[in-house]
Amino acid sequence: MGTTLAGHGNDAAAVGLVRRTLDLLYLGAGYTAGVFLVAIFAIMMIMSIGRQFALNIPAGDDFASWCMAAMAFLGLAHTFKRGEMIRVGLLLEKLHGRTKQVAEIVALGIATAFILYFTRHAVQMTYDSWRFNDVAQGVVALPLWIPQLRFAGGLVILSIALIDELVSVIRGNRPSYEKGSPDETPDEFIERISQGGGG
Amino acid sequence: MANLGMIELSFILLGVMILFLASGVWIAVSLGLVGFVAMALTTSLPLGTVLATTTWSASASWTLAALPLFIWMGEILFRTKLSEEMFRGLSPWVQWLPGRLTHVNVIGCGIFAAVSGSSAATCATIGKIALPELDKRGYDKGLSLGSLAGSGTLGLLIPPSIPMVVYAVTANVSVLQVFLGGFLPGVLVMALYSGYIIIWSVLNPKKIPPRDPPIPFRQKLRESARLAPCLLLILAVFFSLVLGFATATECAAWGVTGALLLAWWSGTLTRKNFLESIMSATRLTCMIMLILAGAAYTTAAMAYTGIPAALATWVQGQELTPGMLALYLSIMYIILGCLIDGISMIVLTAVIVLPMVRQAGLDLVWFGVYLIIHVEMAQITPPVGFNLFVLQNMSGRDTFTVARAAFPFFVLLLAAVFIITEYPQIVLFLPKLAFPD
Amino acid sequence: QTKWNLPAAYPADNPHSENLVAFAKDVEAATSGKLVITVHPGASLFKAPDIKRAVMTGQTQMGEVLLSIHENEDPVFGIDVVPFLATSFPEAMKLYQASKPAIAKKLDAQGVKLLFAVPWAPQGVYVNKPLATIEDMKGLKWRAYNVGTARIGELVGAQSVTIQAAELPQALATGVVNSFMSSGGTGYDSKAWESLKYFYDVQAWIPKDYTFVNKAAFEALDKPTQEAILKAAATAETRGWKAWEEKANWYIDQLKAKGMTVEPPSPALKAGFQKVGEQLTADWLKKAGADGQALVEAYKKM
Ligand code: NA
Ligand code: NA
Repeated sequence: MGTTLAGHGNDAAAVGLVRRTLDLLYLGAGYTAGVFLVAIFAIMMIMSIGRQFALNIPAGDDFASWCMAAMAFLGLAHTFKRGEMIRVGLLLEKLHGRTKQVAEIVALGIATAFILYFTRHAVQMTYDSWRFNDVAQGVVALPLWIPQLRFAGGLVILSIALIDELVSVIRGNRPSYEKGSPDETPDEFIERISQGGGG
Repeated sequence: MANLGMIELSFILLGVMILFLASGVWIAVSLGLVGFVAMALTTSLPLGTVLATTTWSASASWTLAALPLFIWMGEILFRTKLSEEMFRGLSPWVQWLPGRLTHVNVIGCGIFAAVSGSSAATCATIGKIALPELDKRGYDKGLSLGSLAGSGTLGLLIPPSIPMVVYAVTANVSVLQVFLGGFLPGVLVMALYSGYIIIWSVLNPKKIPPRDPPIPFRQKLRESARLAPCLLLILAVFFSLVLGFATATECAAWGVTGALLLAWWSGTLTRKNFLESIMSATRLTCMIMLILAGAAYTTAAMAYTGIPAALATWVQGQELTPGMLALYLSIMYIILGCLIDGISMIVLTAVIVLPMVRQAGLDLVWFGVYLIIHVEMAQITPPVGFNLFVLQNMSGRDTFTVARAAFPFFVLLLAAVFIITEYPQIVLFLPKLAFPD
Repeated sequence: QTKWNLPAAYPADNPHSENLVAFAKDVEAATSGKLVITVHPGASLFKAPDIKRAVMTGQTQMGEVLLSIHENEDPVFGIDVVPFLATSFPEAMKLYQASKPAIAKKLDAQGVKLLFAVPWAPQGVYVNKPLATIEDMKGLKWRAYNVGTARIGELVGAQSVTIQAAELPQALATGVVNSFMSSGGTGYDSKAWESLKYFYDVQAWIPKDYTFVNKAAFEALDKPTQEAILKAAATAETRGWKAWEEKANWYIDQLKAKGMTVEPPSPALKAGFQKVGEQLTADWLKKAGADGQALVEAYKKM
């Protein structure tokens, strides 16, 4: 995407830095989501095995639930960028060139607007939990804003990714979430498709 | 609903949904927007606050935490040598059956389905070995492609199953009961498939190549020992549950442990495979979870509009028999299944369909299994069918050729739907055995 | 015509939900259809933990919830789950009267107006073996789902196990847990008799569902409508208490009919629980401070 700015040495360097920072943000949040997946696994195994040895994780069910929410939302931007957020592509695949670009901008615009609205209220809810001193109801009275921060944070990062993408597509770039690049081998394709859990 | 009739509102919402889906807006976002429009048209309540509350509450869920673990388990197994071992272990035993090695597709997928929750993964895992082996021996291309496409869908019906977890959470029924409910219908579908293969082979004897050279019984056994790790994994997960080591949710974690051990034992648990399996599972979970979050919000929004309750009352007024309702829903799901993926199909319709189903007196566990068989059909109907995509790439044939090959198996799935509607105890026997009431 | 929503956490056929539907009908009749309240039972609109917050923030005008699930937020919400403080319906009523002003005040500060409260059946112990004394509870796999039950488990030397309510029947069947504390109703609903043979009717506490309304929404109504709500609320409260006194006995009879051994605790066991109760009351008083102290004293004087 630096192509349009090529020649403006300093600007290009700055844009490159922003690009790298953003990509790192999505990827980092995605890896963090992966860590939460492993955490769910660890909590459940400890709860299950621990029971045989009179070892209990107080509110282990709550902690697993919070890890679930954290992984679900922190990984969103990464998932979106990798093109694994599904949609009905039947019509879009028929379009080409300028029409295609406009259609992509419309779809991205709608998604960006909705996710921004969603994010704004998720942040508000988290702030309210802190303001009202809302606490968990189980055995461990953890303040709820702590787990909710990952939920809201994941949405903030997704919002950034969407705006980033929208700007890029408006500038005429190919959407980064678009799949089936010409250099994909059949093996890669099968691997990608077979990971679809809906299928 | 100030000055807007229930019927007008329903059509507006349906229109909004189709418009957004058709313009390529992501499914999760389309769902959320439908909820947003529904609430905006009917209430003056704080929409955004409801959006945040319901999505948070739906995501921070213990029961749902089984979902990423089942997905992860599948991702680990996909990277093992399980499929190769499955083929070599099973093939000596089916040589005498009309259709011979084609049955490996059915049985292999059936066994792999008991450790994998996804249809495309089952299809791809078994297919990557079975398809070239069958080709080499000169088996009929149509039959091997079709049986593989059809059998792959067993991944959804035989537990564990990702769409079953999604359904159970959406319908608020026990995941364990839906899992148990899918088991016998899974065996039924396998029997239907194998039965069809036998009849087809008897009718087309020239299209089935001669049997492989026989091998001594002892060697057969030795080859089949390769199946042991997979069977052990199935048993381990089962017994962790039955012996009280794990709850229904926790047994997903045991599945991951088993899959990791299996991968380690077979030498495929490399650092790279391990990390890739985590990240793949994470992305897939995120995709599903955002759809579920959108659905949770739409469900609440619909509760405000009163449409689901009104529809349920309407169904009651029509005095539809459960069988008729099942028939209408079948037609709707088959059409939907051509166009969208299984999980979206479940959550997009749940808000409207579940109250009707409840009202008509259908058992929700039974309905879950009924719905999952439709999701299976959706995997092999064009234009959007994940098993078709997998096989299209493996075989180099186009989607519609694969779909035509899979058509008999689509019909067999329809037959299975008919059979479980006529004899619901096939579904309900195991859940009722485990949870009598 | 005004349309209101009333999310409730329990299934449509639960006596609490039935009482709410009757309450909504009363209001509609008294206002000649000017105020229509739709009850959303079975957590179909909001889940139990979210209902109070939903009313506070105006996502719904009314709501009903087992208020003690919010005891971590403020000890006063948990006064009816302090073990052995009020162990019969008359005592529970007294405790309700004594604590009502404090609870109403706390809710009021959150923008919520308390309408009425209806009890559940008293809590007893479900267990897989006879209990002669409290020492027999040592080593039991005890379901701990809130601060109170976790503390009881700790004090009697049982092994606390974390199990979600939805997984309780399966956990009982496979022996993941072999004892838990709940009302006759929960045991009946989860078919406890299939795995556990003993129910000790220790009547540890009587929790209550509270029905409340968003204050601003309430104040926006005209006076006659407000009065209609308050009147219907009073009726619903009386109706609910009466229904549950009958229902509590019905549940106990059902458990017996299903072959469970249903017994009051022996004097020795009771003494043991009393001691646990004193400790837990002391715990609660420590959290609740001087206000809590005053509440308990007022209750004991009644
Ligand atoms: Na499966
Ligand atoms: Na399809």
